[in-house]
Amino acid sequence: MSLRDSLMYHLNVSLLGHGALRIQRIKAQMTMNRQGWWHHEHLNPPPVTSAWLKELISRHYLKGRWITGTQKVAWVTSGAPIEFLKALGYYLIYPENHGAVCGIRRVGDEKCKVAEHAGWSRDICSYARTDIGTILSGKTPVGKLPKPDLLVCCTNICQTVLYWYQVLAQQFKVPLILIDTPFLYSKAPEHALDFVEKQIQYAIETAEKVAGVSMEPKRLRHVTELSHDAVDLWNRIMHTGRARPAPFLAFDEFIHMAPIVEMRGDQATVDYYRALLAELEARIKNGTGALKEEKKRVLWDNLPIWFVVRKFGNLLASRGVALVASTYTNAWGELADLIDPHHPIESMAKCYIHPILNRGTGQKLQTMKTMIEDYEVDGVLLHSDRSCKPYSIGQMDQQSILLKQLGIPALLLEADHNDSRVLSWEQSENRLQAFFEVLGV
Amino acid sequence: MSDPLNIPSRKEVLSDYQSSGQDFVAVYPIHYHRALLRAHDLMPVELWGPSQYSTTSADAHLQAYTCSVVRCGLSFALDGGLEKARAIIVPHSCDSLQGLGSVFLDFIQPKTPVLTLYVPRGRREMDVEFFARELMALDKSLAKITGKRPSEKMLHSFIDNEQKADSAMEAVLNNRIRIPMSNRQFYELMRTRQYVAAEKFEKLARDTLESMQQDNRTDCSHKLVISGLVPEPAELLSVMDDAGLTVVWDDTACIGRRIYPETDDADPYVRMARSILGAPPDSALGSSVEARLAHLLDLTRNKQAQGVVFWSVKFCEPELFYLPQLSRGLELAGIRTLLLEVDISEPASAQVQTRLEAFAESLT
Repeated sequence: MSLRDSLMYHLNVSLLGHGALRIQRIKAQMTMNRQGWWHHEHLNPPPVTSAWLKELISRHYLKGRWITGTQKVAWVTSGAPIEFLKALGYYLIYPENHGAVCGIRRVGDEKCKVAEHAGWSRDICSYARTDIGTILSGKTPVGKLPKPDLLVCCTNICQTVLYWYQVLAQQFKVPLILIDTPFLYSKAPEHALDFVEKQIQYAIETAEKVAGVSMEPKRLRHVTELSHDAVDLWNRIMHTGRARPAPFLAFDEFIHMAPIVEMRGDQATVDYYRALLAELEARIKNGTGALKEEKKRVLWDNLPIWFVVRKFGNLLASRGVALVASTYTNAWGELADLIDPHHPIESMAKCYIHPILNRGTGQKLQTMKTMIEDYEVDGVLLHSDRSCKPYSIGQMDQQSILLKQLGIPALLLEADHNDSRVLSWEQSENRLQAFFEVLGV
Repeated sequence: MSDPLNIPSRKEVLSDYQSSGQDFVAVYPIHYHRALLRAHDLMPVELWGPSQYSTTSADAHLQAYTCSVVRCGLSFALDGGLEKARAIIVPHSCDSLQGLGSVFLDFIQPKTPVLTLYVPRGRREMDVEFFARELMALDKSLAKITGKRPSEKMLHSFIDNEQKADSAMEAVLNNRIRIPMSNRQFYELMRTRQYVAAEKFEKLARDTLESMQQDNRTDCSHKLVISGLVPEPAELLSVMDDAGLTVVWDDTACIGRRIYPETDDADPYVRMARSILGAPPDSALGSSVEARLAHLLDLTRNKQAQGVVFWSVKFCEPELFYLPQLSRGLELAGIRTLLLEVDISEPASAQVQTRLEAFAESLT
């Protein structure tokens, strides 16, 4: 660590940055607490805690902008076990989360085109294209992404991440840790659990070497505890959607999930989710829903279509349709019980082999059925995401079973999570209007 | 060029199996160990498509952005093409084949048992250990179907046979430039490894080597390496013949990337696992770009190839991710590259043929 880097970091991040962001948050919260500040025909005001979220995310990326030379940086896949990296003091970047930021800011296409111009096919994942385009262009809406010292790729969300991280490894010439999680067509076999546990142990050894520090078991336990608490709180936040009217929608979850993906294992994440949960519980008590009038309730399947999240939300709200839950955000909460701070490595192996995307399509249908009951859902929207085959393959059968066996209206929408060129909004809107008619709104 | 070898077609072989009462297993791409099936007296018959097969039946289950190898393969099964197989094996090779295995097990549930096999993406000792246990689990599942419990000795004996066949395949590839066969015939021969017994393939390969010329062929104006998943539609091989392009090495997942090295572990499962994970660099085995590039550079140099044709199946992410960095590395070394993108459910388009012809001209 150089003295200059350290000084610049503390000046720009700890002193100026944090202060400025805190002032922004206080100002935003003051505005949100003022009567009559909110004007929307169909939606109630967002939780005041939202201003805190903005501060958290901005702080994270601000830190990244000045981190080089002060802390080791790891780029990790969104489903990877990160507790050991946090415990070793790594600063983490999640290219998928950054991809989502680009999608929301509607610069995803621009980044994809840079990657395509350099030879990457339009048929590969748009998150990967966004990331490669960001690296090649050096431009990002978050200011600057620090270069990695280490890459950590866990295949529990897809195999795509492995090819993507091989591209990154070639680009950055840094070590790549692979945590290969055998896909579970049914119950996890013992040898698969052993395999994942061994890989996590090996990953810790590699990460220790790169960081030049040794793991302190106490520190790992503490980070795992924080991780467990954050996941548990996230789960409870999502469960508030079971109330009628729902105080929080899946559209809100898409935005508020950033800390659970990106800052799991941080005290700030636990504090933030605790405050958000308290505010949502108060809303339930007051009978304040996210929609001014909730007529029907719908479940979402697959990744969001980032570049139209707001537009989509407004369209549903205009018909009184509340998107009360999503299988996607649920994935970061459903495994809370598997995290055991007293057995961090064994429990990591168990937890990280079990995400929804690493389980069979029949198991995903079962999750949907449970959520339909728990959230008293009237219909299901399945996003057939061209960029995410593991999530999308199986949806045609799932839709058919939902419709024919359960009598639940289910619509399959063709789109992409980050490439707006794939979506025909007019066609989708027409299909949604027909879906609303089936729902009777 | 004639066909003195009488290369048996897949249809003929399947017909022989059925008339002789020989049980067979349908195996989807890519990596598995044939010896394990042979020890259960099951003949593996691989399913790389079939090429130019209608995807209509699969379209009710799989989105159009799923690769055509998987869509054709599912259609073929749904249309009753695998009814006579004793089992269907779906190795976990990519997200699409993962989805296929899961859709089979969870929704389609065919009468024929469906078995899966997770192929690890690393080549560490722990990957070998895991894969050995995975092969052992597959052995147990096969035992439930066949009622057989192959001994270790029997497994070793079948592994020996497969190693001999792989070694013969490598020898044929190494001598390709002296074998008077068109690209089309050559690939017909090489692809018999996907459905004939190892012993039969070894004989075909040895017969081919006996018939080869003393010197290199003089009719090869341009030498090529092809890299990709599967060389379909096969008529493109004829286009290569007509354009004076000769394939001197194969780096496809169905042939060259499955020339497994010899292994001698005492435990037959470890031996099989180590052999598969010792295969040449392959996207489906999670190889690094660096390893794949070094391999292609070695091949092109050793075989004095002037170009590499990346023969890619549309929507095949494992292959598509590597292409820009591989192409750049090869071009920097003076090796010309061409990307052909095909949908194996369709015949080769005139556009693809024209690109191949133009590529041949550019090598002149």
